Amino acid sequence: MYEKDGEKYFVLDGHLHFWDASPANWKPGNEEYAKGWIECFHAYMGLGPPETHWTLEHFQKYSADDFEKDVFQNGHVDMAVLQSTYLKAWYTDGFNTIEKNASILDRFPGKLILNGRWDPREGEAGLRQLEADHAQYGIQGVKLYTAEWHNGSRGWKLTDPEAVPFLDMCADLGIKNIHVHKGPTIWPLDKDAFDVSDVDHVATDYQSLNFIVEHVGLPRIEDFCFMATQERNVYAGLAVVIGGLMHARPRFFAKVMGELLFWVGEDKMLFGSDYAIWEPKWQVEGFAAWEMPDHEDFADYPRLGVEGKKKILGLNAAKLYGVEVPAEFQVAGTPADPTAAVGVEG
Amino acid sequence: MTLRARVYEALGTVYDPELDEPITTLGFVGSCVVHGGDVEVRLRLPTPQCAPNFAFLMAADARRAVRTVSEVHDVTVVLEDHYTGEEINGAVNDGHGFSDAFPGETAGDLQALRELFQRKALLARQSRLLSVAATTLGELSGPDADRCRALRRALGIDASDDAPAFVTGDGTPVAASDVRFRRMASLTALSLETNGGMCRDLLKTRYGEVVAA
Repeated sequence: MYEKDGEKYFVLDGHLHFWDASPANWKPGNEEYAKGWIECFHAYMGLGPPETHWTLEHFQKYSADDFEKDVFQNGHVDMAVLQSTYLKAWYTDGFNTIEKNASILDRFPGKLILNGRWDPREGEAGLRQLEADHAQYGIQGVKLYTAEWHNGSRGWKLTDPEAVPFLDMCADLGIKNIHVHKGPTIWPLDKDAFDVSDVDHVATDYQSLNFIVEHVGLPRIEDFCFMATQERNVYAGLAVVIGGLMHARPRFFAKVMGELLFWVGEDKMLFGSDYAIWEPKWQVEGFAAWEMPDHEDFADYPRLGVEGKKKILGLNAAKLYGVEVPAEFQVAGTPADPTAAVGVEG
Repeated sequence: MTLRARVYEALGTVYDPELDEPITTLGFVGSCVVHGGDVEVRLRLPTPQCAPNFAFLMAADARRAVRTVSEVHDVTVVLEDHYTGEEINGAVNDGHGFSDAFPGETAGDLQALRELFQRKALLARQSRLLSVAATTLGELSGPDADRCRALRRALGIDASDDAPAFVTGDGTPVAASDVRFRRMASLTALSLETNGGMCRDLLKTRYGEVVAA
């Protein structure tokens, strides 16, 4: 819970991690990739305030105690969605598998929402695993990382035919929140790996599923905004936007927020700290205090008030995950007009 | 002008296709060493995982640009610290294409990707020119207008002075007052500028403040 100026914010962090990228977990033969991946993440941490930077060694592997302190004690986070990212081509036991994530569930009862994952290239075995993960953990969502390397393949698209049975299974089992994370590679390699048009297709085809596009499709925010206006069930995950821009590039941050508020709207934007890339504390505090600059360059953009900030920091994600939020955190009155932004009516 | 200065000038004509900025101003040229007529250019990118297709285009374009400089004999381009550097360096320095670097992993060459981003770049550039109520391209001047002309020529869109001042990404003439066009152009410009800012920040984090040697 975060309180500022008499306003109480229920914080549901929609995107964070509990990973192990320490050298002991680097897959023999692929150490260079494992090292490069975590060093790349660590560089992103450099975009946050200097006093929040960690050493690389600490960043490679942090403990459940660190997680508790950074997220729940100091980070103002009430609940969090723990995402699973496997990367088993580079990390022997995976980067943060569902099993590793599940190891801290009992420590934080009622506070963590565990998400799974799937990869269409795993075929029948992957389907059975998804079914088992749902049965064991009751997952309501998955994170899909399309740039994962697998048996010589460097990525996939949601429109690949092999993805159909997985999407069908998600719809059947009620695994309704599909977090999509684009990365730099895809098959075939000559295509733009960050393209979000595949999300557009499946969002149309699977109306019972919600598609949360992480880091709002960055670096393709223009395509994302245009797509999100047309799809009722596409949401903007703000990981990287707040962590990567709010401190390092405040002017760009304001403009990106302005475009998202215009095209997507405050009802479909979700806070995600991307911890441990960035700690939630400075992001929550900075976001609650942020105002659209009072300057002609920003005059065209919608403003974001306290109610919008409450929705983005937690209430929107709470709706997607069926979390009951106490009345003291709710916004007054009726939900915002869904046609307020450019987005189409349901 | 020394040979090295001319080589560096040639590198300034190489654009990051995704950001529409020269690789020299982005800081991607880590070093440029000239021995006699032999040139070695070392490129470095903001992350080891930058997309291989764009990385390949920059490396291949850099080699091609330097080879056109008079008195240059051999050119070697080395993409440093990149997770597909081995594949890219091997193919680029042998004059091979992207599909040779990644056999079986491509469906075509990179021309379609390049064009897609030239269209985005054209849209973005025009957003900086919309304060001028121009109807023909000849009425526009300055670096952004020059870049628009170059992009239009590359895309086969009329770039003569009499041609329409503003066009959509696919070359359809559009009025400067068209609200939708203005909105899409400024959003695309913001996207490119934001990405460029993030790339600069990450490059600085990765390599410090060291400027090109």
